[in-house]
Amino acid sequence: MTWTIVAVLAAGVWAQRLLGMFVGGRILSRQPALGRLATLIPAAVVMAVIVQLTVASGSSLELDARVLGMAAAGVLVWRRAPFVVVVVAAAVVTGLARLL
Amino acid sequence: MDETTTGDHAATGPGWGELGALCLTFFALGVTVNVLVLERVGSESLTITAAIVINSATTELAYLAVRDAGGTQVAAVIAGWVVASRFGLLAVSLGARLRVGVWHRAAAGLQSFDPNVTWAIQQRTAREVMRVFWRTTAAMHIGWVSGIAIGVFLGNVIGDAQRFGLDAMFPAALLAIIGNLLRRRSGALAAAVGGGLCLVLIPISPAGVPIIVSLTGAIVALATMPEEST
Repeated sequence: MTWTIVAVLAAGVWAQRLLGMFVGGRILSRQPALGRLATLIPAAVVMAVIVQLTVASGSSLELDARVLGMAAAGVLVWRRAPFVVVVVAAAVVTGLARLL
Repeated sequence: MDETTTGDHAATGPGWGELGALCLTFFALGVTVNVLVLERVGSESLTITAAIVINSATTELAYLAVRDAGGTQVAAVIAGWVVASRFGLLAVSLGARLRVGVWHRAAAGLQSFDPNVTWAIQQRTAREVMRVFWRTTAAMHIGWVSGIAIGVFLGNVIGDAQRFGLDAMFPAALLAIIGNLLRRRSGALAAAVGGGLCLVLIPISPAGVPIIVSLTGAIVALATMPEEST
């Protein structure tokens, strides 16, 4: 990675964020029928990120300690446990599973 | 605010305990990501600048992964841009809820991440959306910037942070943040379709594409589920 590459990567990331905010966001806010997408997009996209962080290793699927940690987090979220308990429990269960 | 459970954000926004835990999560993320980046880049100043200016850990990691695998600069840059597409999608969601001027809108767009947007858009008024968005953004950046510093200057002392399970903190935090959305049938359907498509596509598509395609989950839920009272 060079300084030029940092600038090029940053330009692409900034452009996507600004396009989403100024173009996509305005379209959604002016179309009441599409307004619900504002809450549905994060549900779909963030769940995909969670799946990727839990079972992906490069471009392959890998079931390892992360799955146990996230299973614990899932149960705690379902039981409406406090946020900090969910986060710490996921780390502890994943760490312990790696030790065993 | 009293300790808040993972189902209460819609009415109240995150409390100090949740913001502290999110700060800790981004600290762990900052340490683990920047240890990896520094190993490959070899320059402290470039690692710190990349972390702050690109403002997307997944973009940095995708770029480095493609280069590690022998890919060209162009392929690595495209991979970095594609995995950042989710921030554009999240900015769409946030943009639909904002009632602010151009410069404020631009600043919010450039800071669109999973936790701050997802917590913010669960608030009822535009004013609350902004308040929760910037509070959450501040908590994330305090953790992220201190994580960068520790990862770059003390990374070799900490060693492999993954062995402590720190890499599970970020997805767990995201799950807790969308917990409230999952309790609605439309949110659960959007997440199930989006997550399922991502799972199927990970082994067969280029990096970042599964995240873009997961948007289908939101469209399916919009088209098939009636509006629910919140």
